Amino acid sequence: MTAEKIDGVALTNMILAGAHHLTNNAKKIDALNVFPVPDGDTGTNMNLSMTSGANEVKKLKSEHAADVANAFSKGLLMGARGNSGVILSQIFRGFAKGMDNKETVTVKDLAACFDSGVKTAYKAVMKPVEGTILTVAKDAAKEAIKLAETENNLIVLMEKVLAEAKASLKRTPDLLPVLKEVGVVDSGGQGLVTIYEGFLAALKGEELPESSLELEMEEMVNAEHHRVTQDFMNTSDIVFGYCTEFMVKFESDKLAENPYDEEAFRQELSEIGDSLLVVSDDEIVKVHVHSETPGTCLSLGQRYGSLINMKIENMREQHIALVGESEKAVSKELEEYAIVTVAMGKGLKALFESLGASVVIEGGQTMNPSTKDITDAINKANARNVIILPNNKNIRMAADQAAELAEVDAVVVPTTTIPQGITAMLAFHPEADILANKEAMDEARRQVKTGQVTYAVRDTQIEGIPIKNGNFMGIEDGKIKATHQDKAETTKLLLQEMISEDSEILTILYGEDVDKKEIDTLVAYIEDAYEDLEIEVHHGDQPIYSYIFSVE
Amino acid sequence: MSIEINTKDGQVTITNDVIATIAGGTAVECYGIVGMASKSQIRDGIAEILRKENYSRGIIVRQEDDKLHIDMYIIVSYGTKISEVASNVQSQVKYTLNKSLGLNIDSVNIYIQGVRVAKD
Repeated sequence: MTAEKIDGVALTNMILAGAHHLTNNAKKIDALNVFPVPDGDTGTNMNLSMTSGANEVKKLKSEHAADVANAFSKGLLMGARGNSGVILSQIFRGFAKGMDNKETVTVKDLAACFDSGVKTAYKAVMKPVEGTILTVAKDAAKEAIKLAETENNLIVLMEKVLAEAKASLKRTPDLLPVLKEVGVVDSGGQGLVTIYEGFLAALKGEELPESSLELEMEEMVNAEHHRVTQDFMNTSDIVFGYCTEFMVKFESDKLAENPYDEEAFRQELSEIGDSLLVVSDDEIVKVHVHSETPGTCLSLGQRYGSLINMKIENMREQHIALVGESEKAVSKELEEYAIVTVAMGKGLKALFESLGASVVIEGGQTMNPSTKDITDAINKANARNVIILPNNKNIRMAADQAAELAEVDAVVVPTTTIPQGITAMLAFHPEADILANKEAMDEARRQVKTGQVTYAVRDTQIEGIPIKNGNFMGIEDGKIKATHQDKAETTKLLLQEMISEDSEILTILYGEDVDKKEIDTLVAYIEDAYEDLEIEVHHGDQPIYSYIFSVE
Repeated sequence: MSIEINTKDGQVTITNDVIATIAGGTAVECYGIVGMASKSQIRDGIAEILRKENYSRGIIVRQEDDKLHIDMYIIVSYGTKISEVASNVQSQVKYTLNKSLGLNIDSVNIYIQGVRVAKD
């Protein structure tokens, strides 16, 4: 093997070293696992997948690089376990494809393999989550491609790839909030870094020490804590109340009496606590455990040597403090979305607010708000995107102007009635962008039939229908459909016009001039006359209009 | 149909649509899934990948004597180990529904409705 080219034998060595290194570190990777499901098996799964790939390579014993890569890919696919295992199998499936049946591999080829691996891996997912093994593989591959233009030495390439993978791994908490919260790096990403470490060591012809992974005890402890806190919500649900951490410095005379056995020690501790971590080398053992009897844990440790760096915390008290804090937190941040709308009457205002309107401007048929009123409302809403619902055709112009003047993104959904406004609000989707929302809300408001009952203030004639001062009028979407001297009769005539066989829901907003008895009588009538109709009644408290109906 | 949870302060009703949407959203984030498929492909067109708002057409939530079962119809990526992808979806859906709704799902049944071969 030279530093410029590797053959199947060298590639086999790399894969075996990667697999071996991963086996040695699987447990630590398990401890990091909080995403996507904190079940602590990422390391185990990756290890099983990797071992299956390595076994195929071992069986093959070929000097042909592409053959080795293909065998590795096949083994990984067959042995893929868990999410991380499947991703790993895809990365190396692409890697093998990138090898393009070459017998030996140069720097350029290897870089192309890494790149091809990333491309294949990304293809197999609908919504790639960044901050995972995918991101680590991608960043490392990018570095490889860049370097391959000028570099011929494979060891240098692998060193750079590993360095970038490590750097990318360090960035994963910035991309994935759950990692940041727990204070760990992504477990799958860590697994890939471990494999790359193995690759590099094999290229250099070095032996990797067992458990050389630079993984802080602190990270593992954080992960353990998080897994525990996820499982309960109430302080009283905490079973083991004291978080206990300590180190034992081995002393030879004590060890002579009590030989140290990590498995046995772990077993003993697991009987009196959980969230257990025991990590040891020749000189020291570090322990993290949640227990009701921290003293007992310390005593168990003391059998092997002297205690150093002890820390015991009462988690119940911490939890109480934490819960209190989160309740106090109030956000004054800029909102993503606000809806500004116009309505008259306390009831309607409350109705719009309950649907999520940020600002309801007082106004309507006889009192149109000005452009300035709407502009002020937009500013008051304090949001990046503002949707304006004028709910009246006379206010539409002012709303359009205000939207143009606004410093933030503002759009008008041209609702002309209160029911249209309400229906438009129901179509609002906070996750969609503003134009999609505008479209959906506009579409929704067109589906509504609006009816209004009001009275005439003078004698007049509209569309051939004579109307006397004081008579009631039933208006459907701007057209007078009924008129009568009796309010109840007008209402019935209007409803007859509006309700068809396809109608499902009738919403009634009754005005300030309607009393409880009157609305009850009306509802009883409708229930009787239209049996299949679902009726919703709200006290709109609006002036001028006795009733506002919407039929859907 | 909906799920009702009784608490000391009153009742919480969660419609199946909510469960389907959460389950679908979780599933498409799983590695190896390229989409949710309709449960009746003949009627809705062959191997149509459902948009977010239609997830409920590919997810059925069933309640049988206090036990919750979810059937999910999915399309996976070619070249992945399908059994593993499916089991990842199962565990992730169970986990997410438990965390966000406090529901314990008894079974998540996965129906692979298609395999998407990615273009090179």
